[in-house]
Amino acid sequence: MLASPAALLLLAIAAPAEEPGLALRCAKALTCADEAPVIDRALVLVKDGKIEAVGSAAELDVPDGYEELDVGDLWVMPGMIDLHCHVGGTRDINDMVYQCNPGVRVMTSVIPDNPALRVGLAAGVTTVLFIPGSGTAVGGQGVLLKTGLTTFEEMLVREPGSLKTAQGNNPKSYGEGCGPALYNWHITNIFRRGRAYFEAWEAFENGEGPEPERDIQLDVFRALNAGEAQVSSHTQQHAVVQSTLRIQVREFGIETFIDHGSMDAFRGAHLAEELEVPAILGPRSASWRSNSRGYDHDGRMMGMAAEYQKRGHTRIGFNTDSPVIPQETLQLQAGMAARYGLDDSGMETVRGLTIVPAEAAGIDDRVGSLEPGKDADVIVLTGHPGDPRTSVELVFIEGELVYDAEEERRW
Amino acid sequence: MKSPKSLAAAAAPFLAFLALAAPPAVSFGSIDDDEKKKDDEEEAEEEEEGDKWFAIVGGDVHTGTGAVLRGATVLSKNGKIEEIGYNVFIPEDAETLDAGGYRVYPGLVAVQASSRISRGVFGSAELAADPDHGHDPHASDPLHPDDDWSKAGDTSFGDDSAYEELEEAVEGAADPKDRPDFEHSFDPFSSYLVMALSAGITTADQSGTAAKLKRYEIDGVAMKEKHMDNFSWSSSGRAGLREKFDRASEYLRELAEYEKKKKKDKELKEPDSKGVDSKVRSVLEGKTLAKFSANSREDLLGIARFAQEYGFRPVLQGCREGWTVADELGRAGAYAIVTPRSRRAKDERLVREGGSSIENAAILHRHGVQVAIIPSNTSIDLGGITGRDLLHFPVEAGFAVRGGLSNEAALAGITIIPARLLGVDHRVGTLEVGKDCDAIVTDGDVLHYQTFVQWTVVHGKIVYDKQDELLFHHIRPRPEPEPEAVEEVDVEAPEGGEEEGEEDEEEPEEGEEEEGEGEEEGEGEGEEGDEDGR
Repeated sequence: MLASPAALLLLAIAAPAEEPGLALRCAKALTCADEAPVIDRALVLVKDGKIEAVGSAAELDVPDGYEELDVGDLWVMPGMIDLHCHVGGTRDINDMVYQCNPGVRVMTSVIPDNPALRVGLAAGVTTVLFIPGSGTAVGGQGVLLKTGLTTFEEMLVREPGSLKTAQGNNPKSYGEGCGPALYNWHITNIFRRGRAYFEAWEAFENGEGPEPERDIQLDVFRALNAGEAQVSSHTQQHAVVQSTLRIQVREFGIETFIDHGSMDAFRGAHLAEELEVPAILGPRSASWRSNSRGYDHDGRMMGMAAEYQKRGHTRIGFNTDSPVIPQETLQLQAGMAARYGLDDSGMETVRGLTIVPAEAAGIDDRVGSLEPGKDADVIVLTGHPGDPRTSVELVFIEGELVYDAEEERRW
Repeated sequence: MKSPKSLAAAAAPFLAFLALAAPPAVSFGSIDDDEKKKDDEEEAEEEEEGDKWFAIVGGDVHTGTGAVLRGATVLSKNGKIEEIGYNVFIPEDAETLDAGGYRVYPGLVAVQASSRISRGVFGSAELAADPDHGHDPHASDPLHPDDDWSKAGDTSFGDDSAYEELEEAVEGAADPKDRPDFEHSFDPFSSYLVMALSAGITTADQSGTAAKLKRYEIDGVAMKEKHMDNFSWSSSGRAGLREKFDRASEYLRELAEYEKKKKKDKELKEPDSKGVDSKVRSVLEGKTLAKFSANSREDLLGIARFAQEYGFRPVLQGCREGWTVADELGRAGAYAIVTPRSRRAKDERLVREGGSSIENAAILHRHGVQVAIIPSNTSIDLGGITGRDLLHFPVEAGFAVRGGLSNEAALAGITIIPARLLGVDHRVGTLEVGKDCDAIVTDGDVLHYQTFVQWTVVHGKIVYDKQDELLFHHIRPRPEPEPEAVEEVDVEAPEGGEEEGEEDEEEPEEGEEEEGEGEEEGEGEGEEGDEDGR
């Protein structure tokens, strides 16, 4: 089942700089685009790190001078995106100085090409949101990175990637007496100060006020309020997610996505859908009993993604929380969602690994689908990504071959 | 549904058939009491009449021996497979399971499994004596929350009456003195047992005993005890280990010599077995297997050489760097118990290959090592992180396939090879005539991530039916068969009944998205989430 396009490919890729362009033929392309999400016998044209064209091999011509790579029976899809990950750098990412640390930036702790990312890359994860831990209500700023490249500057997709908030049990551990009311007050308070800070700068830039004093604790709120970054909210139980939606989304109107979605929050899925809040789920994918939290599944093993979907939610994605579960099992998260009842007839599993998280993080102009103009982050794999038996054979990031299983199979 | 009294009734082995007899649409996991009594009586009569026949009809039978018989029948008599094939004559009084459109595989074998699976709440004296455990949500029967018999004699296990009554019921089945110790701790009503069965597991190691996961009965659950013994390959213990093997080898040579000459030479004395380690002796006699936990290449090589020197086949647990020395391990006739997903970093000080590899299982297999597969969590994880425990046993085998192992070898890794390690391969691990009728009926490839076990059969009885248990019944519900067809299973074969009985659902995978009942919304604030992550 393992292909051997390596030799060919090395020829194709070895030539640097001018980049002749690559024509990738495959049995099936899961483009994750709205139009033609699946193309059989497809051809993907890559030029200057971007996707130039995607279509049926019968209809699309290969321009002169392009290197051709035929991967035979293998499939291609966009690189996968993990929006909840702690393996981008050093793992001491719970800087529990204050309950709110919006100025803390994990970008300063990135370790490019580290062993955990390397294995994740070998599983087809090409973009991650590397975020602080959830030990405090506002853990700090995450950063969006491409995984397979070797310097921070090359890796950087966007900074700030997100502001990480955490609700539920983890921020309670900040100290004795930190219950939901208190940590939610902390969040509300800092968001209110952040809003005022943003408005003061807006006024200044519009010539309507004095120049505010720079506050690095609050700088991130300028990006958030301008819609240039999102809140990635570590939120999971039903009541907790409700308060997330109430505070971050309704009160402050800041683009937010549910991250590390777990447990019984699907009960409020219709509300999340109404507010257009994506639900990025994992590492838990099923909920068997949560009556200690006020809800009993009556002995049933409930698939979280399936339950979100059943309530009309259409923005379901997956994350790993690596290293809690290894990044290389991101695709299994999607597979397990399908096992536990997610209707995959619209390729919900594949979308949940690609375009849904891309849209959630606001980077769908660059990644998340195989469409002309987007980054050529392409993975070549042996079948459906939900199947643990499926292996990733080749990974391209921005048109560059960054992993070849034939050469060194890492996963 | 089960009071302690009806437990006794249930200990008669036939309750399982009710799954077939009862109309499928009844409330899940509960069976009407009157109907049960009636059926029990019927069953009792049947038993007196003689042999117990059971047939799995019309499924694609993956025997595990390489053969796949499409649309074939597996017929068992008193729990043993009598015939597999086509045009099988099915006795009139046989119970049948219509597996048309489904696949039939041997029951899966877990070479390691938490003892919690069969121990239930009754196995440990401490547990039973601790009243707090009466309130442990994990200790009561999660699949049958309404029939909480564990609380029958008032919610506490401090009061032993319910416990004793059950003991009586289950012990009545055989003379306790003849019963292996293990059977005293076996809880045939354990919810974990049901979950293991739901994953397709029919045989599991339970603290050194190969246990047949019977439900509602305990006779014969202990198939084999201590077929594998643990040995340590620690650097400090190696010299001592060598001494033991030397001494036992010496003794066995003397013993062989003695056996040869004792007829001629009446004076000859039997060799002195003083200082002979019984575990080591048993390994050298080929009666048991020696298992070593080892991952590093040095240890694996050392064990392989040691085993070759003394003439036994080692079992290598972990074996993460096995792929770097697969050749040597194959030559030593080693077995490996691997978790394909587990990782071990390479020792960067060394130039040679090292660390874990997803290809480990495939490479070992290619070199003749018999590879058993086990997930990293050998219990049943109800915390919600799925795909890495025994509830998702085949997923781990799927990762071996990812690394290049064939589907067939991966299936062997969760059936016949672990059966060999547990010393029960003559009874389970493949579907063959003469072996136990332990089988699973699935709605797809057992290694596929969406496949569910629809029925689990142990010893020629249905012990799990997906639609009859709460756990998974709501996920892609199985299309219901025609009501008549169900009725006819129990009735004496009417004319033309067979044809109607064959009427089946062609597409088991595509269950309609149903789930009619609304969600009951619970009240109250979330108090103690077991949130993890960071």
